[in-house]
Amino acid sequence: MATVELENINKLYDNGFHAVKDLSIEVQDGEFLVLVGPSGCGKSTALRMVAGLEDISNGELRIGGRRVNETEPQGRDIAMVFQSYALYPHLSVADNIGYGLKLRKVPKDEMKARINRAAEMLELTHLLDRRPKQLSGGQRQRVAMGRAIVRDPKVFLMDEPLSNLDAKLRVQMRSEISSVVRSLNTTTMYVTHDQTEAMTMGDRMAVMKAGELQQLGTPGECYDTPRNIFVAQFVGSPPMNLVLAKVVEGPTGLGLQVAGEVLSLPDAVVAERPSLRTFVDRDVALGVRSEDMEDGSLSSAPSDRRIKGQVALTEALGSQVVVHFTFPGRPVVTEDTKLVAKETGAAEQISLRPDRGVKWVASFAPRSKVKMGDEIEIGVDLERAHLFDPETSEAIRG
Amino acid sequence: MSGPAGPNTKVERMSRGRWLRLIGWRHLIAILFVIWALFPVFYVITLAFSGGNTLTAACPPEKTGLAALTCFFPSTISLNNFETLLTSDQWPFMIWIRNTVLIATINSFVALLMGAAAAFAFSRLRFTGRRPGLLTLMLVQMFPGVLAITAIYTLLTDIKDVFPFFGIGSVGGLALVYLGGALGVNTFLMKGYFDTIPVDIDESARIDGASTVRIFFTLVMRLSLPILIVVYFVSFQALFNELPIAQVVLPDAQNTTVAVGLNGLVANPLVQQWGLMAAGGVMAAIPLVIVFLITQRSLVTGLTSGSVKG
Repeated sequence: MATVELENINKLYDNGFHAVKDLSIEVQDGEFLVLVGPSGCGKSTALRMVAGLEDISNGELRIGGRRVNETEPQGRDIAMVFQSYALYPHLSVADNIGYGLKLRKVPKDEMKARINRAAEMLELTHLLDRRPKQLSGGQRQRVAMGRAIVRDPKVFLMDEPLSNLDAKLRVQMRSEISSVVRSLNTTTMYVTHDQTEAMTMGDRMAVMKAGELQQLGTPGECYDTPRNIFVAQFVGSPPMNLVLAKVVEGPTGLGLQVAGEVLSLPDAVVAERPSLRTFVDRDVALGVRSEDMEDGSLSSAPSDRRIKGQVALTEALGSQVVVHFTFPGRPVVTEDTKLVAKETGAAEQISLRPDRGVKWVASFAPRSKVKMGDEIEIGVDLERAHLFDPETSEAIRG
Repeated sequence: MSGPAGPNTKVERMSRGRWLRLIGWRHLIAILFVIWALFPVFYVITLAFSGGNTLTAACPPEKTGLAALTCFFPSTISLNNFETLLTSDQWPFMIWIRNTVLIATINSFVALLMGAAAAFAFSRLRFTGRRPGLLTLMLVQMFPGVLAITAIYTLLTDIKDVFPFFGIGSVGGLALVYLGGALGVNTFLMKGYFDTIPVDIDESARIDGASTVRIFFTLVMRLSLPILIVVYFVSFQALFNELPIAQVVLPDAQNTTVAVGLNGLVANPLVQQWGLMAAGGVMAAIPLVIVFLITQRSLVTGLTSGSVKG
């Protein structure tokens, strides 16, 4: 067990590509930290630098307080699980798990005992004599885990270990890996592009974009107080709904003008953000999570905290009704929103009514009776509204 | 209550004409080509066992036309040719075989190691000059080795003054020359195969604590065994049959290779020992057949690997 400290780590390739920029993260002893971001954001490169498979261009990396920039991978006392599992095809499961121990000249008896213990933990005991080829994807994944835990390393590094599994198995392995790692209480760095994995598995998550750290915090922090538009949209499913709104000074305080109507901002929201006053008569990006909206006919929201829209699609999921609706607002289009749209596949969807302004997704209580095509009112919980500067994409705080 | 097959279930047989049209002609062509290809082999084997020097000479003059074809089947079977070759002092066949097998076995092995090491570097390491190096290797390979014969001769003559073992006229000298021979093609072939082994496996082994040498020998070499065997066999076979360079380096019939020795039997237009050459050829095929039988299973998987996934 050990801490892992990344201090201003940079990766610059020979061709000039700056893959990781000034990355500073401190992983606590025994912590499960998830590096998450869209593909090409440098998360895997960062992990490979911690593993020693990639040189660090500059910055300092410390494992257990010791500088390891120049240490070979085998000297760092880490174990890594690869996306492709990287099992040795010519060795049995037992030999695969024991490979690292054999190279470290662990005595035979001890080696056998440790392999058996790891196999038991991962329910692989009956498969020890098989070859990787004879195993299913989930079993191979577990062998790869076994190879990591048997060495009892200071740090686990996992590079998208669940990406090659089908959706159902992924959910199962997610909890399995979580419970195994937590029972061992070993420091873990886990890379994924799937924000659900990051939210459910990590003690903390580090959201990255284009080589830069966007936000480092618990899943709750990243979800509830996103630092910028990118984090707001990337973390959470569906992505946070956004619309451009003009800040107006009304008789009852500050309000947001959206689609010709003014939503009054709660005092608490304004009090938390004194700098909002400087935005009067300018645009801000208003962000609302789907669960912070309710069917107008069921909502107790006052009339100045409602928006009017037309239902484009409803998905009844039993526990909730997911309602896609459009209203004539101005969409927020920045590099970040485009990136997230690309990542979630929304960019490929055909917008059926582009003239309808923006499309939001809300989750209503199952009692809601809204149907496709209905003109409805949506109550918005503005206490939980998120406000961003559309120019800088930063959250408006302080 | 009906049986497992209904009363009307009948397997329709293809009519003979239809079979010939759809399938039969392929067989005919194949048979024709097999005869075409195997005829020289057949000729050499019958000649070797005929005991004579040429099949035509042994053919009685009264046989003409199609009847002369029966001369391909010798009337007597004798081991004379083999006996002469194995016992004569003029043509030390056993020395030729020893030299050739020695060179082919050891050289193929060393060339394999060298080629694999180069292929590993080209496949796994990133260094300045990697691409130009690979291209140069390929380009140099384009020139036949015969072009260098003059240089080889001069070099080996000079080397003989310092290291007689590697000089002109010595088996060691020929081995030295052969080492450079097929390096380019081998390296290319193996690099292609190494590239198909996921780098993740190397990296995983490195994290597990394996050194580069161990990764090379116990992982990459182990996982590419089929291609190594292909390369070994191909290079064994090529060295076994090589003539022009061997002729320059080992011209003396008393200490040369099978190819040069057998060639010498028929080189003199006044005394051409075709019968002995055929017998020598049949015997020389034995080591090749043995190596082929040992490696054949891998040859098939190695040569076809990559064409089918998995």
